[in-house]
Amino acid sequence: MESSRLSSLGRDTRATRLIFALLALGFAALLMAAGSAFYIQRQNGIDAQRVVHTLAVEASLGAYASAMERMETARRGLIMTQNPRFATIMADAEAQSYDRLKNLVRLVADNPVQQARAARLRAHLKIYADHYRKTLGLRGDDRAALLAGFAADRGVLEVRASRAVVEEMTNAELALLRDREQRQQRTQGQFNILLSLTALLIMGVAIATLLLVRRNLVELRTSRIELRRLNDGLEDVVEARTGELKRANAEIQRFAYIVSHDLRSPLVNVMGFTAELETARKAIAAYLEKGAADGWSEPDAATRLAVEEDLPESIGFIRTSTQKMDRLINAILNLSRQGRRTLAPERLDLAAVLEAIVGSLQHRIDESGTDVSVGKLPVVVNDRVAVEQILSNLVENALKYLQPGRPGRPGVIRVTGGADFGRAWVDVIDNGRGIATRDHERVFDLFRRSGVQDQPGEGIGLAHARALAYRLGGTIEVQSELGEGSTFRLILPIEWQSGEEDV
Amino acid sequence: MSDQKPVNIVMIEDDEGHARLIEKNIRRAGISNAIHHFLDGTSALEFLYDAAEGPVRNGPALVLLDLNLPDMSGTDILAKLKADGSPLRRTPVVVLTTTDDKIEIQRCYDLGCNVYITKPVNYENFADAIRQLGLFLSVIQVPDPDPA
Repeated sequence: MESSRLSSLGRDTRATRLIFALLALGFAALLMAAGSAFYIQRQNGIDAQRVVHTLAVEASLGAYASAMERMETARRGLIMTQNPRFATIMADAEAQSYDRLKNLVRLVADNPVQQARAARLRAHLKIYADHYRKTLGLRGDDRAALLAGFAADRGVLEVRASRAVVEEMTNAELALLRDREQRQQRTQGQFNILLSLTALLIMGVAIATLLLVRRNLVELRTSRIELRRLNDGLEDVVEARTGELKRANAEIQRFAYIVSHDLRSPLVNVMGFTAELETARKAIAAYLEKGAADGWSEPDAATRLAVEEDLPESIGFIRTSTQKMDRLINAILNLSRQGRRTLAPERLDLAAVLEAIVGSLQHRIDESGTDVSVGKLPVVVNDRVAVEQILSNLVENALKYLQPGRPGRPGVIRVTGGADFGRAWVDVIDNGRGIATRDHERVFDLFRRSGVQDQPGEGIGLAHARALAYRLGGTIEVQSELGEGSTFRLILPIEWQSGEEDV
Repeated sequence: MSDQKPVNIVMIEDDEGHARLIEKNIRRAGISNAIHHFLDGTSALEFLYDAAEGPVRNGPALVLLDLNLPDMSGTDILAKLKADGSPLRRTPVVVLTTTDDKIEIQRCYDLGCNVYITKPVNYENFADAIRQLGLFLSVIQVPDPDPA
């Protein structure tokens, strides 16, 4: 379950990345389309300008041609009629021709080929004009000769050559125009193709993005539903588990209770009849004493031994063992009873709790010359009696297992604490005899103790303390080195864990 | 006269050893009343209600009751004795048992038990408790049972 949810998370990330990539691609395509549109637009503008230019050249060519034709017409009129009015028109048309040729030259300044042609036009015009001026004053025979060979006249030839050049130039300009139109069309076509491709790409990106987003949304919804279902299920599961635990706990409590009680019953007899035996033995012993004093027959040594040594020894062992058994049973009973006590959470200043504990142990502390210091401690919400029991057990242990005989090392017990992430802890640190590593867990077991058995006790305190700590939603840990001292850490929730109910 | 009738002690105790120790110590306290001992609840109830020399037919009684019995719970017997309309509801009942659970003790008193004594495992204390009970029995006034 966990891993599939994690991988779906990974898929989400991948899908998101893909969506971003696609969106970026779409925007890039848009930018490209806009850029090429701008380029095409500019190209179109340039082309249009060129077309206008070509048209202007053509118009200029036409204008020049018409001015030249007008010159020729005027010359012919003049030759034929000798009317001086034609000379005026001729001069006017010549000026016009030069003027228009200058204009043409300016227009074709960008085209060397056309410029060369324009230069040729100028040359033709110059020869023509010179010829005209030479033939202007011809009279009589000369004129007749001119008229007779007019077809081969220099001026006519020049006009023809000029016409040819004008046509050449017009054709060149037309070819240019066609070229430019073609190029414009090609560019337009390319632009159209590019635009269509971009449109297709954007469409593709949009569809892919939409599909991805839709899939993501569907997955999101599915996982949300799943999450809600799991969450609901989790509560049920937790409730069921808690119920089971409570039942199990109750059963254990009940078991311990019944066992300890039923164990007790035979003990009453063992103790009782041991006492009766003792009483009987005393009676026999007294009788034997009395018999010896009265001079009756002395009982044999074996009888005397049995009555005076064997019987009291056996009875003594039975009694000590029974007493020990009684203490153990009582310990189990106490544990079981502690487990059943109703817990009453309240606000506890652990520093105050520890001051009280240290106060109650003051006599022993003074007697052993121990230095006990309580540092800054957190405030928790918990059951006062239970917390007091745990802490006082830890402090008592620290005090109990100091090494009073060890020279140059006075007993030091320090209590410090802290809190974070909802947990509070109290460390009880001593420099006592310490606990071997292999016994670190064992000291928390019921009836188990560690090290030299030179102190009274049944091995109940820490087992009890840890059981209590568990019940309060906390725990107890130990860090210790043999001969160096021990640190017992009680960890408790800062706030009361309301899940605890008494069974 | 009913005043002169001796008080019968009815002891309901499944552990013979306990019964013997209790009897011994009661005797040591100087109580010589008859002690009727029963090992289970059924025969005890039969004696209490039906026997010719039982308390209903024949004079006052005092019941020593253990709570852990093989056939029924001592509290059931207690409830029956102290029930409304029972001829023995004024008969003193001393619960003498190993159970020292607070809830159990409260329940016994709620049901009408007159004295609750926990059997101490320590024999000196045990003997002491029984002897004191004996002294208590020597001064106690026990009513006749109500006519059935």
